[in-house]
Amino acid sequence: MTSERTGAALASLKGVRKRYGTTTALDGMDLEVHPGELLAVLGPNGAGKTTAIGLMLGLQAPDAGEVTLFGRSPHDLAARRGVGVMMQEVALPDALRVRDLINQARAYYPAPLSLAETVETAGIGKILDRPYVKLSGGQKRQAQFALAVCGRPQLLFLDEPTTGLDVTARETMWRTVQRLVKGGVSIVLTTHYIEEAEALADRVVVMAKGRRIAEGTVSDIRSLVSRKRIACATAVELAAIEAWPEVTAAVREGSQTTVTTADAEVVVRRLLAADPHLSDLEVRRAGLTEAFAELTQEPPVPEIIQEDAA
Amino acid sequence: MTEAFALPPMPLARVVRAYVSDAAYESLRLLRTPAFAFPILAMPLIFYSLFGIVLPGLAAHQPAFANNLFVGWTVYGVMGPGLFGFGILVAVERNMGLLTYKRALPMPTGSYLASKLLMALVFAVVVMAMLVTLGLTLGHVTLPLVTLVRVAGVMSLGVLPACAVGLFIGAYAPASSAAAFANITYLSMAFLSGLFFPLSGVLHDIRFIWPTYHLAQLARASGGLAYEGAPLTHLAALAAMTVVLVGLAARRIARRG
Repeated sequence: MTSERTGAALASLKGVRKRYGTTTALDGMDLEVHPGELLAVLGPNGAGKTTAIGLMLGLQAPDAGEVTLFGRSPHDLAARRGVGVMMQEVALPDALRVRDLINQARAYYPAPLSLAETVETAGIGKILDRPYVKLSGGQKRQAQFALAVCGRPQLLFLDEPTTGLDVTARETMWRTVQRLVKGGVSIVLTTHYIEEAEALADRVVVMAKGRRIAEGTVSDIRSLVSRKRIACATAVELAAIEAWPEVTAAVREGSQTTVTTADAEVVVRRLLAADPHLSDLEVRRAGLTEAFAELTQEPPVPEIIQEDAA
Repeated sequence: MTEAFALPPMPLARVVRAYVSDAAYESLRLLRTPAFAFPILAMPLIFYSLFGIVLPGLAAHQPAFANNLFVGWTVYGVMGPGLFGFGILVAVERNMGLLTYKRALPMPTGSYLASKLLMALVFAVVVMAMLVTLGLTLGHVTLPLVTLVRVAGVMSLGVLPACAVGLFIGAYAPASSAAAFANITYLSMAFLSGLFFPLSGVLHDIRFIWPTYHLAQLARASGGLAYEGAPLTHLAALAAMTVVLVGLAARRIARRG
């Protein structure tokens, strides 16, 4: 699904390998960011998401493979002038006010947003005149988001942007991200909030152990796994449920038991047979969380790598 | 790879503006950080008042004594901003990810270092202006103002090796101990290079390893005071120290971030 648009990728990794000492961060990673899309990169900690972004930003050089940004080397300043970035771990100068930080970042770009436009886009009017050190964790993320958008970027890298935000702030950021995509900005988002990818992403790439192990729309990824979740209140022993051959996993939290299985009908029948007083029964297709957990389990599912060959 | 994307051009005026704005914000943030601004701006003034004017008493009235101590404390004052601005900040900013973030942004190449260098120069000029004022009013300095301006101009050169020493510390020292390394280096450079009292023995023999020694000799030469060695040699020594330290630091930062 990617090959016909390869030439137009705003940013790409082709067969990229990157090692840190004895740790392999990326092991033949391929990734393409297409114009106008919101691409979510999912994967467990250590999958190589942040390394992949770092390479596309020119922060590191690959040991092997090719990295491009706007068809150029990411070390090219001209290419990076088209990019906005929100990194996971960054501490900005404490003594500067948010207004100063934005103005300083705006000066790096050829045609930035005005300060007022930046404030409006990022919704940070309330914290504009506060020193960075006085901001809460969530407000710092909002300020960093403002710095990412202030340069009027064509491509925006958001590395776990909503970590530490409260629900309102997260929804505000989601709306802004959706508006930016509508306005033609391409976005690469890494997140461990699965609902974030479900709410925002046009396309999802799942990474594990430095490789792309799956790619597609959210529903593509979900349909790659057939598992379902059964939730109910039951007196049946948890150990007994776990022992049934169809059951992949079973957990009990308070009165609720959650069973993961590929064969929901069989398990439901058994549950009802074992416990006639069973209540609050609910069966649903696994969400991206479960799909994701299954995809990143060892060993990686080999057949979903096949589109790499295309 | 050769695919052409339309990226808006960055006019030279905007690049220059980025450098200027970086330098201005770097100075502003340090001015707003008392832990930095106080030792850099106030300590040379306090030390000069105390050890150069108050404690020496009548001895401070002798022109040679007064002029030499003035030069000594000014060298001390000029070295501070570069040493601490680079030494502590580079180490801390490496540690907190700011350096990486700045590299990800389209900050003009060199602006990270240039902004700190300009900041150090601005602070050094402010320190010198305060010391000159104090020297002329209370310090019994007998050099004419024109000469003092020339001496100050020569001493501004000291900002470069000071920044180089600081950058070296910042590139190698962990953030937690960079301040300690910078302080030890600062005090060693001040007191082991003969700025304030004559040295003897081994300390005298190795005084040329300190950039402060060479800077003080250059300053004395430009002020018409007694000095050792040849000015060009001192200039060459300062240039060599700067180049070697910056080279080592750049290598370390390029490899380790």
